[in-house]
Amino acid sequence: MDSLVAALIEPFAHDFMIRALVMSSLIGTVCSIFSCFLVLKGWSLMGDAVSHAVLPGLVLAFVAGIPLVIGAFIAGLFCALATGYLKENSRVKEDTVMGIVFSGMFALGLVLLTKIETDLHLMHVLFGNVLGISQSDLIEAGSIALICSFIMLIKRKDLMLFCFDPAQANVIGLPVKVLHTGLLVLLALTIVSSLKAAGIILVIAMLITPGAIGFLLSRSFGKMLIIAYISSLFSCLAGTILSFHMDVATAPLIVVIQTVLFILALTFRKKNRSQKGVQHVG
Amino acid sequence: MNSIIELHDVSVTYPNGQSALKAVSSVLQNGTIYGLVGANGAGKSTLFKAIMGFVQPTTGYVRIAGKQIKQALKENLVSYVPQTEEVDWNFPVLVEDVVMMGRYGHMGFLRRPSKDDRKAVSESLDRVGMSDFKKRQIGELSGGQKKRVFVARALAQGSRIILLDEPFTGVDIRTEDSLINLFRSLASEGHLILVSTHNLGSVPSFCDEVMLINKELVAHGPVETAFTEENLIKAFGGMLRHHRLVGTDLHKDEDSRSVTVLTDDERPLVLYGEEGVEKITQPGDKT
Amino acid sequence: MMELLLEPFAYNYMIKAIWVCALVGGTSAFLSSYLMLKGWSLMGDALAHSIVPGVALAYLLALPYAIGALFAGLLASLSMVIVKQKTKLREDATIGLIFTAFFSLGLLIVSINPTSVNIQAIILGNILAISDDDVLQVVLISIICLIILCLKWKDLVAVFFDENHARSVGLQVSALKILFFTLLSAACVAALQTVGACLVIAMMITPGATAYLLTDKFSRLIMIAVALGTSTSAIGAYLSYFMDANPGGFIVSLQTVIFLIAFVFAPKYGLIKRKVIVHG
Repeated sequence: MDSLVAALIEPFAHDFMIRALVMSSLIGTVCSIFSCFLVLKGWSLMGDAVSHAVLPGLVLAFVAGIPLVIGAFIAGLFCALATGYLKENSRVKEDTVMGIVFSGMFALGLVLLTKIETDLHLMHVLFGNVLGISQSDLIEAGSIALICSFIMLIKRKDLMLFCFDPAQANVIGLPVKVLHTGLLVLLALTIVSSLKAAGIILVIAMLITPGAIGFLLSRSFGKMLIIAYISSLFSCLAGTILSFHMDVATAPLIVVIQTVLFILALTFRKKNRSQKGVQHVG
Repeated sequence: MNSIIELHDVSVTYPNGQSALKAVSSVLQNGTIYGLVGANGAGKSTLFKAIMGFVQPTTGYVRIAGKQIKQALKENLVSYVPQTEEVDWNFPVLVEDVVMMGRYGHMGFLRRPSKDDRKAVSESLDRVGMSDFKKRQIGELSGGQKKRVFVARALAQGSRIILLDEPFTGVDIRTEDSLINLFRSLASEGHLILVSTHNLGSVPSFCDEVMLINKELVAHGPVETAFTEENLIKAFGGMLRHHRLVGTDLHKDEDSRSVTVLTDDERPLVLYGEEGVEKITQPGDKT
Repeated sequence: MMELLLEPFAYNYMIKAIWVCALVGGTSAFLSSYLMLKGWSLMGDALAHSIVPGVALAYLLALPYAIGALFAGLLASLSMVIVKQKTKLREDATIGLIFTAFFSLGLLIVSINPTSVNIQAIILGNILAISDDDVLQVVLISIICLIILCLKWKDLVAVFFDENHARSVGLQVSALKILFFTLLSAACVAALQTVGACLVIAMMITPGATAYLLTDKFSRLIMIAVALGTSTSAIGAYLSYFMDANPGGFIVSLQTVIFLIAFVFAPKYGLIKRKVIVHG
C-alpha cells in the first residue's frame, strides 16, 4: 500500500511531471468536451483531417517566425474550408475531398520538414511529448484549452441543438452558419492546444473515445458530458503517471487506457440495457 | 396579430442546376390548416426550407407577417416538426430536453430555463399526452409518441405558424386522429398550420385549404374546389394508382354514380358520385 | 544534363524504389476507383493505421511483416463489426475509435522496444532502405491483388453500384465484399512500405478522384486512375532523389497537385468549365 502511495506521489517531486499532469488534465478536459459534439455530429473524419493538416502550418510558421500555434490553427482551418470549397465546386464526395486535402497537406508538411532546417522534432510533432513540455508551452496551450472548454461549456446547449437538429436551430433564429464555423474553429483550436502533449496523430483518439464512452453510458447530453470528462481526465492522469514509471510513450498509453475504459463501458452497459429491456416489457 | 406567409414568385434552383420550385406565389392566412400535397420530389421540402430560410430563393421572396424571414425567425414566429427519418433517435436527449429546445429562442445567453419556460414545456407535454414519458430517451418511444414529442416542441415554442413535414408517416391511426384534433383546435386558436403530406386520403378529413404542387403551384384553394381529380392528376402525373368503378360495376340499377379511388401508397382518396360531380367521401360517411 | 537525369538509375536502391512504388501505386489506384465512389475514405485511413501493431509485433518477432499486418487488419475489422453490432454509435465514430486504439497499441509496443522497430519507417514509409524480404512481400501482394482485380473488376462494379441487382443476377455479394476488403487491407499493407501509414489514404483515393473528374465511363476511370497512380509513384520516387526529400511525401504531393489541376482544368467537370456554364 505504502509503495502504491509512494508511486503516486513520486511524480510530484519533479517540476516536469507537475507540468505534464497539469497539461494532460487540461487537454483531457477540452478534448472530452469536444468529443461529445464530434461523436454526435459524425465528424470523426473531419477531426482526423484537421489534425493531420496542421503539419505544414507548423513548419511554415517556424520559417515565418510566428508562433507555431498560429500556423497550426490557420492550416487546420484551411483544410476544413478548402474541403468545403472543393466539394461545392466538383462532383467528388465530401469524404473523398477531405481525404485528398488532408493527405496532400500532410505530405507537403513532410516534404517541407525534410527540406527545411527546423528545431521541430518530427516524432514529437506526430506523437507529442507531454513529459518534455516547457513552462511557456504550458501557458500557451493551456490557456487555449481553457478558453475553448469555457466557450463550449457555456454554449453547449446551442452547439448540442446544432448537432441534433440544425433545422430547429435555424427556425428558432440561431445563426446556424456561425455555429458551424464556430465548431470548426473550436475543433482546430482544440487540436492545436493538444499538439504538444498528444501529437497530431493521436489527438483524434482523444477526440473520439471519451465521447463514445459517454454515449454508451448515458441517455442525456449532460450526463454524456460528465462521463466523457471523467473518463478522459482519469486516462490522461493515469497515463501520464504510468508512463513516467514504465518509461513508455505517454500519449499512446493514454489512448490505450481510454480504450480499456471503453471496453469496460461496453460490458457494463450490456447489463444496464438488459435491465431496462425488462422494465420495458413489464 | 397577423401571421401570414406570403410567397412572391418563389423559385429555387439548386447549385447543380436542378430546379426544385418554379414561381410559386400564394398567401397563407392564420386560423387555417393547409395541406401541402405533391409527389416525392415535387418540392414540398424545398418550399418548407424556403419558408424557414434554409434555402435562398433564386428569384422571388418570402415574407412572414410582413417581415423578412430572419427577423420573423428571431421573433419565434415559425416552428417546425421534422420528418421522422431526419432525426437521430440515438441522440442522448430526453423527451423533456427536446421540448425545451423549443424554448431556446426565448431564453438568455446561457439558455437557462426560467419558470415560464418550464411551464410551457409541461403544458405542451400535457397537451399531446406525453407528460408520463418526459424522462424517456427519445429512441425509446413508439412512432406515434416520437411524433407527439416534436409537436409538443412546436407548441412550447409558442409560434403562430407551425410547419409539419409528413406528420402521419409511421404513425398509428389513433395518434393520427388525436393529432388532427390537436391541429383543429390550434387552428381555431388562430394558428396557421401547414402540413405537407402525400397521404391523399387524410387531406379532406382535416385540411381547410389545399396547395397542390408539382414544382409549380398546380392549385391552391378550399379543399372542395381545389382538391379535384383533375388537379390531383396534374400534380402527380402518372404517379398515382387510379381506379374507377362506374355505376354498372357497382350495381345493376340505373344509378350512374361512380367510385374513383386515387392512391399512391397510403390512405386512398375516394370520390363518389355522378361523373364530373363526384364528392369526396370520408371513411364512415353514409351516401 | 542527361547524365544528371540518369544518375538515380545508377543506384540499385533507386531503381528498386521506383518500380516497387509504381507497382504499389497502380494497385492502390485500381482500388481507389471503388473506394472514392463509395465514400469510404475513412475506411482506407483506418485500415492503414490499424495494421501498425501487427507490423510492429512482426518485426519484433522477426516474422514476415505482411503476416502481422494482415492479422492486425483482420482483428481491427472484426472489432469494428462487434462494436457496430453492440452499440448505436455512428459508423464513423466506431471506425475512428477502433483504428486509433489499434494504432496507439502499435506505438506502445514500439515504445516498449524502441530498438527493434524503426517507427519512423512504419509511419513515413521506408522505400529507399527497404529489405529484399520486404520487397518480395510487397511485390507478391501487389501482383496477386492486380490479377484478382483484373479478373473480378466487373463483378465488383455490379456489387458496389447496385447490390440488389448484383444479387438478382446471381453474384455472391457478401463474398465479393469480403474479397474487396481483403484486397484493400492487402494493398494497405503494401502501400505502408512505400508511403507510410499516414499517407496510405492518399494512394487509396486521390488517383481515383482525379480520374472521376476526367471521365464518366468506369472502365476508363480505372485505366486513368491506374495510369496516374503508377506514373506519379514512379516519378515521385525518382524526383525525391534530386530533392532529397521523403519519397512518400513527394509522391502524395504530386498526386494532390495533379488532382488540383484536374479540378481546375478538367474538360467537362473542371472549375473553369463550370464557371463558363454558370455565366454563359
